[in-house]
Amino acid sequence: MKRWARWFPAALALLLLVLSVYPLWATGYGVRVMLQLFMWIALAQSWNLISGLTGYVSFGHVAFFGMGAYTTAILVVKGVAWPLAAVAGGVMAVVLAFVIGWPCLRLKGPYFAIAMLGLNEVLRVMASYFEGLTGGGLGLSLPTLDASVRIYYAMGLVALAVTAATYVIVTSRFGLRLMTIREDEVAAEAMGIDTFRYKIYAFLLSAAAPGIVGGLAARDMGYIEPISVFPLVTTITMIVMVLFGGKGTIWGPVLGAVILFTFQELVWANFPHAHQILLGGIIVAVVLVMPRGILGVLQQRYNLPRTV
Amino acid sequence: MAAILQVRNLVKRFGGVTAINGVSLSLEAGKIYGLIGPNGSGKTTLFNCITGIERRDSGAVGFKGRRIDRLKPHQIFHRGLGRTFQIIRVFPELTALENLLVVTTSEFKPARKRAEELLRFVKLETLADEYAGNLSYGQQKLLEFIRVLMSDPDLILLDEPAAGVNRTLLNELLDAVKALRDRGKTIFLVEHDMKVVMGLCETVFVLDHGEKLAEGPPGMIQADERVIEAYFGR
Repeated sequence: MKRWARWFPAALALLLLVLSVYPLWATGYGVRVMLQLFMWIALAQSWNLISGLTGYVSFGHVAFFGMGAYTTAILVVKGVAWPLAAVAGGVMAVVLAFVIGWPCLRLKGPYFAIAMLGLNEVLRVMASYFEGLTGGGLGLSLPTLDASVRIYYAMGLVALAVTAATYVIVTSRFGLRLMTIREDEVAAEAMGIDTFRYKIYAFLLSAAAPGIVGGLAARDMGYIEPISVFPLVTTITMIVMVLFGGKGTIWGPVLGAVILFTFQELVWANFPHAHQILLGGIIVAVVLVMPRGILGVLQQRYNLPRTV
Repeated sequence: MAAILQVRNLVKRFGGVTAINGVSLSLEAGKIYGLIGPNGSGKTTLFNCITGIERRDSGAVGFKGRRIDRLKPHQIFHRGLGRTFQIIRVFPELTALENLLVVTTSEFKPARKRAEELLRFVKLETLADEYAGNLSYGQQKLLEFIRVLMSDPDLILLDEPAAGVNRTLLNELLDAVKALRDRGKTIFLVEHDMKVVMGLCETVFVLDHGEKLAEGPPGMIQADERVIEAYFGR
């Protein structure tokens, strides 16, 4: 245990160093793959902030991704620099989270999950409908630009920031209070915790990164349309990554994202279409065999601290 | 002495069932009060209405001279009114220590010190880093009891504190309750164990079918014909 605590930060620093020089010798394909991995880490980690910690399952988290993608694409088409546009995407996602969270986080139980599912569908339809702004079903094309390496660093930075934020939150009393909502919301209220305010905070935090990442992904893809940025399967993938790695933990979402993304890339390359079946299989297996995920099981069995 | 808690004509209905039907009572600071009554007589519902977990249909609840019946549970808690639950409600996937740390409003360091003191007080200090869900029933009960003490409330509502706690622990728990009273705290407890109620409480309220049946010192309550009838029938 103690030894682990000593070499883990060193290994992490080394890994970050390698990742920060990786684009110098990597192929274009390698950079694209890695930036997607960073994207998934940021998305899974964000979902974990609201759903892993407070237990309020968001079935429409990709709505924030799509919001960020459209905001960024529209701004870039209008001539705004893409990094600035991506930040604006994050801001818009947080605004959206506030608008939907204010009424919906008062709901207890499964209603929040259903409301989020609905939100995503509504946004997708709206993106198709307001053709003047979004290009409707035809989508939006961004001016050509080769920025893979810069997007790689931007994505990496977002993934790192969300993970660092999660670390700070989980090791603080703020994070513990978020967990009390998951554990027993009535008791949390009775112990003086303003659960509604805490849920709103967690929700706003969890919307920021998907908004930025959505914007970066839009810039990277160069073309977006309603079905490509609001797919339900993206939310499901986030959920599976977190459940697989360990919900409510710091490194669980990272672990889940790395393992599942690698697995998916391999399966995708060899057996296209089979990856959805695989995803379904993993959901069933995780729920049945280890509902706490890899890290959750380890923490419970060896009574490890939350920082692991 | 002024009343710390005042309940006036409280009514709570669940659909067609009137769980609390016009209950009035008043507690003075620095005393231990008991609340007894047969199952389903509305004891827990009364506690829930006082602490804001259930919204009353009519009537008023005043605490330290101010209305609290429109406040949310967390606001009522911050006024200095804490409670425990009949069915244990610790946070199972938080450790015993973390269960205490989430509560208080003070800085982290004094909170940690207080939490450790409280754990020692009920002899749970060796289990501080154990998940609360792994503790025994009695230990969880104790943890919930000290959790409410983290914020040093002026009035504490205890819903069946003795149930499932063994004799040795129980005596310590009762001593702790008396010690709190001696420090000027007010305690209001629901309890089925008559020995506990009679030995501890200065005044006992009896609820039956959502109405206050009797009120008085334990000796008088025990001899009251109506109370005996409510419990055992005619």
